[in-house]
Amino acid sequence: MSDFYQTGIITTLHQLGQPSLERLESELLGFSKMRPIALVLPALYSEFEGPAMPGIVQELAKVKYLNEVVLVLDQASEDDFRRVREFMAPIQAPVRIIHNKGKRISEVYETLKRNGLDAGPQGKGRSAWLAYGYVLARGQSDVIALHDCDIVTYSRELLARLCYPIANPNLNYVFCKGYYSRVTNKMNGRVTRLLITPLVRSLQQLVGQHGFLDFIDSFRYTLAGEFSMSTDLARINRIPSDWGLEVGSLAEVYRNYSPRRVCQVDIATTYEHKHQQLSAEDAEKGLMKMSVDICKSIFRTLASDGAVFSEGLFRSLSVTYLRQAEDTLMKYEADAMINGLTFDRHEEAKAVEAFTRAIAVAAQMFVENPMGNPLIPNWNRVSAAIPDIFEMLRLAVDADNK
Amino acid sequence: MMEFLEMMLQPLQEVFAKFNAFLPNLLAMLVILAVGILLARVLRTLLLKFLATVGFDSWSDRMGFTTLLRKGDLWMKPAAVLASLVFWLLIIVTLMVGLGALNVATIDNMVAQFFSYLPRMFSAAVILVLGYVVASFISRAVLITAVNGGHHYAKLFAEAVRALLMLMILAMVMEQLQIATNIVLAAFSILFGGIVIALAIAFGVGGIGAARRIIEKEFVDDGTDKTPDDIEHL
Repeated sequence: MSDFYQTGIITTLHQLGQPSLERLESELLGFSKMRPIALVLPALYSEFEGPAMPGIVQELAKVKYLNEVVLVLDQASEDDFRRVREFMAPIQAPVRIIHNKGKRISEVYETLKRNGLDAGPQGKGRSAWLAYGYVLARGQSDVIALHDCDIVTYSRELLARLCYPIANPNLNYVFCKGYYSRVTNKMNGRVTRLLITPLVRSLQQLVGQHGFLDFIDSFRYTLAGEFSMSTDLARINRIPSDWGLEVGSLAEVYRNYSPRRVCQVDIATTYEHKHQQLSAEDAEKGLMKMSVDICKSIFRTLASDGAVFSEGLFRSLSVTYLRQAEDTLMKYEADAMINGLTFDRHEEAKAVEAFTRAIAVAAQMFVENPMGNPLIPNWNRVSAAIPDIFEMLRLAVDADNK
Repeated sequence: MMEFLEMMLQPLQEVFAKFNAFLPNLLAMLVILAVGILLARVLRTLLLKFLATVGFDSWSDRMGFTTLLRKGDLWMKPAAVLASLVFWLLIIVTLMVGLGALNVATIDNMVAQFFSYLPRMFSAAVILVLGYVVASFISRAVLITAVNGGHHYAKLFAEAVRALLMLMILAMVMEQLQIATNIVLAAFSILFGGIVIALAIAFGVGGIGAARRIIEKEFVDDGTDKTPDDIEHL
């Protein structure tokens, strides 16, 4: 059981006691009549061959409050697409699969591209964005929940707790981020523990009090891939197409809504999914690539909010970060000791060194090109350029699912 | 014996003579077909380049033609669709001209009919395209007006207007193409007239009270003396 401390400027919804799943689901069933819920699942075909997806489908088959499930399937052939349709059949809610490599969806991307609206390269960002577009095109859901498809420890309680804050009309939230402890026999979640938190606190030291830094620091697990939101937010939020997806999305939420309308919810006691390699020597791969993109996203958001980044600030940042990260590392070591967890201090220190390099690389990239990669335009912008885009997208997905 | 052989060979000689007379026509047809196909291919390539230069695909996306193609489950670029249409039209024209070169009376008749039908096909296509643009424009204008007016069924209303306009345009196209003109005209008159009468009855019956109130307010003098207001603003 967690404590009840409220962190930062957003609301934290803890898991206190042992809340009944039946009660949650029955309430959600009631709420879903007023605020229908769509579940978005960005997935690679390889995930259907792994251990996580069968468990997820088995759990989702028991869920009654979902209005629709939209699965965005990437890296799949026509045969794979057919197999996935059969695989998803046990789910009660209508399931629509967006075949990202199919000829119709490729043509939708082509239409966007020739109108100067690049949806970016293949990835979770683009998949999630397209799924939001389809949910908006159907116009039958008011709430969108999204979670990854590689969660080995998935239970339907995760989904219920994720949907509840947005689906409940008595709570005035528009965005809800999931959190959980990434602990097995050791502590996982290196990027959140050893990069984001120390980096944000270092920036607070250097830049001073800043709304966005306070906002980011309020999240217990910034990189959690699970969140729910209102469809209005899905319409106006822009999405980064790179690894800065989670941080960039939070930056857009911060820009568009008051923190009072944002919450985080404890969705799982245990959470396990596939892990990324650190790739400390290659800034174009693994966690290093992710770290560089995250740092760039934070720098860009702060700069767009008026913060001035000079060469001197970046030099100081490397040193401040290193100190912060080393202090954090010691805290986690103590935490691991008291809980009897394995803690490889050498590996953790190596990760900190790699993240320090990532910050330097990101800083250099930011100085060279402060604008960086453009975000995927929001759906309001897209429909202004191509008025029939929603209908086109709906036709493409529906024809693929016939 | 010689006579018998002559009798046998004479028809063959006649066929050969006819074939000899026909051969230049056949060759002319093959040449026309070959040149026509080549020309059609070149024109298709040139048209594709021209359409790409003028940004036809983007224009088509904004005007809603792309969606129209997608509704027909056509997932090619609009420029490619138009270029293919032109290509096949040229192929058909080439085929007709080629067949005309054969100098066969029946075929000549058919070719003449085809070419006299061509302007109708062209005007029908123009009516369809322009009609679709106008219907989309009016439908969108109705949608915006209805939304700004706070009507709950704005989208339904706009779609109904679009459907009615498209119905009218399709009837005009069919009439232009002279496909079952009488049936199309009768069906259109019945359907359109029916819809108008249904709406008239619906609004008429539903709006009796409102109409009475408006008439009473405007034309019926209630007889009460309206004493002027003593209070003045200034």
